[in-house]
Amino acid sequence: MFKKLFTKKRSRIFNLYRVFRALFISQYALMVEYRAEIALWAISGTLPLIMLSLWSNSQAIYSFGYNPINLAHYFISAFVVRQFTAVWVMVSLEEDNLEGKISPYLLQPVPPIFRYLFSHISEQFSRLPLVLLMIFLLFLFKPNYFWLPNIGSLIISIGTIFIAFLLRFLIHWIFAMICFFTDKASSLERLLLIPYLFLSGMIAPLEAYPEQIKQFALLTPFPYILYLPSKMLSSQSFNQTINIEVLFIWIVVLSIVSVFTWRIGVKHYSAMGA
Amino acid sequence: MPVIRVKDLSKEYLVADKQPGLIGTFRHFFSREYTSIKAVESIGFNIDRGEIVGFIGPNGAGKTTTLKMLCGLIHPTSGVVNVSGNIPSLRKYKFLKDITLVMGQKQQLIWDLPPIDSLKVNAAVYGIPDKEASYRIQELALMLDLKEELNRPVRKLSLGQRMKAELLASLLHRPSILFLDEPTLGLDVNSQLRVRDFLYNYNQKYQATIILTSHYMADITSLCKRILVIDKGQLFYDGPLAKLTQQFSPSRLVRLEFNEQINFSLLKHYGKIIKQDNYSVKLLINRNDLPQKINNLLNNFSIRDLEIADPPIEEIISKIYSNKIE
Amino acid sequence: MLRINIILKYLRILFQFWSTSLSIELEYKLNLFVEILSTIGNLAGSLFVLSMFYTADNTLGGWPWHSSLIILGFYTLIESFTISFLQPNLSRIVKQVQNGTLDFVLLKPVNSQLWLSFRTFSPYGLPSLIVGIILIYIGLVKGNYYVNELSLIISFVMFICGLIILYSLWFLIASTSIWFVKIWNANEVLRSVLISGRYPISAYPLALRPILTFLLPVAFLTTVPAQALLGIAPFSLMMVGVTIAIVFFVFSINFWKYALKFYTSASS
Ligand SMILES: Nc1ncnc2c1ncn2[C@@H]1O[C@H](COP(=O)(O)OP(=O)(O)OP(=O)(O)O)[C@@H](O)[C@H]1O
Ligand SMILES: [Mg+2]
Repeated sequence: MFKKLFTKKRSRIFNLYRVFRALFISQYALMVEYRAEIALWAISGTLPLIMLSLWSNSQAIYSFGYNPINLAHYFISAFVVRQFTAVWVMVSLEEDNLEGKISPYLLQPVPPIFRYLFSHISEQFSRLPLVLLMIFLLFLFKPNYFWLPNIGSLIISIGTIFIAFLLRFLIHWIFAMICFFTDKASSLERLLLIPYLFLSGMIAPLEAYPEQIKQFALLTPFPYILYLPSKMLSSQSFNQTINIEVLFIWIVVLSIVSVFTWRIGVKHYSAMGA
Repeated sequence: MPVIRVKDLSKEYLVADKQPGLIGTFRHFFSREYTSIKAVESIGFNIDRGEIVGFIGPNGAGKTTTLKMLCGLIHPTSGVVNVSGNIPSLRKYKFLKDITLVMGQKQQLIWDLPPIDSLKVNAAVYGIPDKEASYRIQELALMLDLKEELNRPVRKLSLGQRMKAELLASLLHRPSILFLDEPTLGLDVNSQLRVRDFLYNYNQKYQATIILTSHYMADITSLCKRILVIDKGQLFYDGPLAKLTQQFSPSRLVRLEFNEQINFSLLKHYGKIIKQDNYSVKLLINRNDLPQKINNLLNNFSIRDLEIADPPIEEIISKIYSNKIE
Repeated sequence: MLRINIILKYLRILFQFWSTSLSIELEYKLNLFVEILSTIGNLAGSLFVLSMFYTADNTLGGWPWHSSLIILGFYTLIESFTISFLQPNLSRIVKQVQNGTLDFVLLKPVNSQLWLSFRTFSPYGLPSLIVGIILIYIGLVKGNYYVNELSLIISFVMFICGLIILYSLWFLIASTSIWFVKIWNANEVLRSVLISGRYPISAYPLALRPILTFLLPVAFLTTVPAQALLGIAPFSLMMVGVTIAIVFFVFSINFWKYALKFYTSASS
């Protein structure tokens, strides 16, 4: 009996893997089909580079312990991290909802969240060559910005980037449930962008923030989405401790909340007559 | 003077090829090969004012493509199109005010609002004064049997009601040339009838020219005196519906009812038996021998009832589509 | 006489467009709350970031705090235009190309560019409009700037030029959807191009400034109108702005006509 349970579980995991693979390949093909789109995405992620060019002209950076070179490392890392933590699940879910695609998804034996999650991951892979190209061009024009993270910190950063992505995905997923109630989630997405913009360290490294605001930001999930992985990737030490516990608490809380909001959302959806 | 003149009209679509699988996809990213699909190949026809013409052909034959070129949505690869003295692809306002395109699978009505709001937008767009517009809306609504549906949000309307509202919106500016691409798609028998009646009345009332595609043969037989058959992008037949049946079906369908039970094997050399029952039979008899054979039948059997008809149009069409007739 | 008729016709069309889109928008009441919240949040965040630049120096690219506020004000006005017109219409265009309902637009006896650009209107740009005007006002008063009527008019004209430039860029992106059917992210691109307009052009490294002036003319969206308002805009720069606006606008019209030749209309 024990064995039976075990194989059942294994076949379910295997099934998920197959779903992932199929989605990966089809999504990858789709993204290549729309290569203009990937290029647009890559351009749209250049905010950290804009901020870098602004800050590099300012004297203020020395007062919070940076110099032009390690500031460049920070923002270039932020650019990379941002590319791989992009989340657009609210827009897709809203679109699918309006087009009535949710109902067939609900009837399929794969939880819909995986469908969206996998399609995000595969799209991020399709972006990899383009990001590398952009970084290469950047280093070509600014050779003094060049650095290579060592293997150890590279592996750790890939891990933290993935966690960051999951965190952001969960947040957006929870908010996306609201589109079952209003059909319009895109304005909420704009709202969600604001704390992400100002608290994640995208606009300046957290060290630049006044003490209270910094402490507050570190209690929200946002710095763990951008600041933490960027620091890792640029191989910089933290001059103050980041509370990893806060990150884990957020992951647990958001996972639980996302399950509940999904249930409530689907209930409402079916009550409306699907 | 024909209103629609088409000569040597062709359209090729360029489509990027892609091999399946990851490697194919990867290759596709860097270099693309295009194949051209010949959707329409040098077709030509003339249509006179006031005609209702049925445009039929199997899926992917090029009907929609032709209609789109006729109303100027897509540019022809080669050939000449002239619709009431205009070149459609220039999309002059004078031309656009004269035509309309109704597509069974696309809609112009605003989804979240009642049709009446979309109608108001259209009235403004076509420069119809408010008073005139509401008069026309009433008139068309009466013809289409639409009432309070016009004040309900479109998303709450049934398919048939929506289609009728679409028709109303497309005809508000009283076009004299109508391009209808499967206007009865998905409608029930009654709604189909109503749409057909409406189109017929509209044609009579305004001397409108109508080109209609449909996969329901009843639409075609009840409305169109003339049909164009297109297959694989090429014009296959252009002429009266009646002649099509003559040309492509050399036999006629004869239904006989007998007074007594008979031995069906005796009927075999009169023609092909399609269906047999206790007292009745359906036979396919060649047109040329028809008088002779009927005569023999009447002499040799005790017949209660007799009916001669063309075989169902669907059968002929399906024969043409599957290329059984050369 | 004929001209007036045409203008009247288009006014009537626009009135119908906007009243229908307003009645759709008003069905989603939660949105108003969300939009006000995001306007306030954006304002607070922008002010906060701006203030960080002033912690060490008291200028940003030669601009004192209060004149930077004016730039931020113009930025907010631009954003209000974006929220009200550009964003809702852009996503519509892309959708219409995707599912082929662009056919209906092209068959209407109306300028299709006008139709597509102003088909819908979102009232939620209003909070930003108000905030933008307040920011400019505060910047002028607290900075003790004196503004005469002439510079007010010039600044207004330059701002309109900025809007035209932005609009043309945006419509160019939208036109490409004829080829690249999926460009949902165009909104993102637009937003991120705009973000660099929050700060004066002179705050950017020298190498970037020509790009931000000529290639992606962000300079004319915020910096130049603000300079004009303060009476410090170089005449030549303003002329360049007007020229770019005209060139971009004419180009967007012709590009759209060109793009339509390739429109194959989604199958079936
Ligand atoms: N936008 C397009 N791009 C590429 N190929 C197209 C496009 N539209 C149609 N085609 C191709 O052109 C051919 C003719 O298509 P068309 O839509 O005209 O057929 P149809 O006669 O309307 O068929 P149906 O009865 O199924 O509607 C088909 O092979 C189709 O695949
Ligand atoms: Mg078709």
